[in-house]
Amino acid sequence: MTVITHARRASRLAKLIDTPGGVSIGTALAQAKSNLEALQPRSLEEVAKAVAELGAIQPPATPEDGDAALTTAYHAASRVIDAVGPFGLEDIRLAALGLCELIDATSADKPFDWRVLPVYAQSLQLLLSLPAEQTDARAKVRASLGEMVDRKLAQTG
Amino acid sequence: MTPGMESLRESAVINLTGAVTMVVDDSPFGLDITASALLGFGIKTRYACHSAAEAIDILKEQSIDLLVVDTEMPEMDGYQLVRWLRRSGLDPNAFAPVIMTATHMRRSRVAEARDCGANFVITKPFSAASLLERIVWVSRDTRPFLEVGDYFGPDRRFRRGNPPGEERRADVLRKAQFEAEKAAAAAESGE
Repeated sequence: MTVITHARRASRLAKLIDTPGGVSIGTALAQAKSNLEALQPRSLEEVAKAVAELGAIQPPATPEDGDAALTTAYHAASRVIDAVGPFGLEDIRLAALGLCELIDATSADKPFDWRVLPVYAQSLQLLLSLPAEQTDARAKVRASLGEMVDRKLAQTG
Repeated sequence: MTPGMESLRESAVINLTGAVTMVVDDSPFGLDITASALLGFGIKTRYACHSAAEAIDILKEQSIDLLVVDTEMPEMDGYQLVRWLRRSGLDPNAFAPVIMTATHMRRSRVAEARDCGANFVITKPFSAASLLERIVWVSRDTRPFLEVGDYFGPDRRFRRGNPPGEERRADVLRKAQFEAEKAAAAAESGE
């Protein structure tokens, strides 16, 4: 196979980064952290919206509808992960990630088990409503979702 | 230590103020998170786009220095956008550093992530430090661009050092685990 190599020109970014001025890495990270903290209150609202969207998805009447509904569910779960952002809420992120995994493992001969979706929506809702200090209860929700994902993934291979 | 890691000494100074940056993410909140982190680094997002189509319209007209793009978007996704950009013939945009962000990497898209021509894919949620580390890394990325069959983008082989960040390659992790177990067994048997 023919390989054409284009010698790398230094990008403008490469030139800019070393020009006089700017900020120290420590300052840049502190500023970024502060900016992100300002977004934290919106995080839970965005998660709640995405979870509500998940809960509203109905099992499809036809296989064609199924693809669209799965895509919607996948995007909603992705938005949960997005919204959790760098604000902790690791159990919520992992729960949403599990749903992404299940949807991703779906194929024509290994269809998605639509009973899973309301379980996810309710569990995520529960995680949202449980106080952070109720670590045992949160861990139980996460563990049961994790077991379900493992079981389903073992079935789909 | 990788070039990127080395540059992340707290006292090191970077100047990204003039970097013309485009962020593409269909999630408004996701876009805000990325733009807020970038702003902390001194990068004011010049173009905030909610779709690949919107980004393409701008990329055809304006030069950018850095593109941060989400992988999963409705209609045209991030992989398709980056593939289009690399093959667009737009100079300098076709060679611009591209960082992709992913909430979840679909198994079916791993090859696409490797082959679309991005400099780096990072998974969300990313910390400010990991995003900055990758920006510094791509700014210092000296890999040549290759045209190989359908591929156009940075050389996918890391010749010097390793990619920045925590090691995640399964084969390297397995080898490290094997070596550690071998060393532990040797220590136990007094060799």
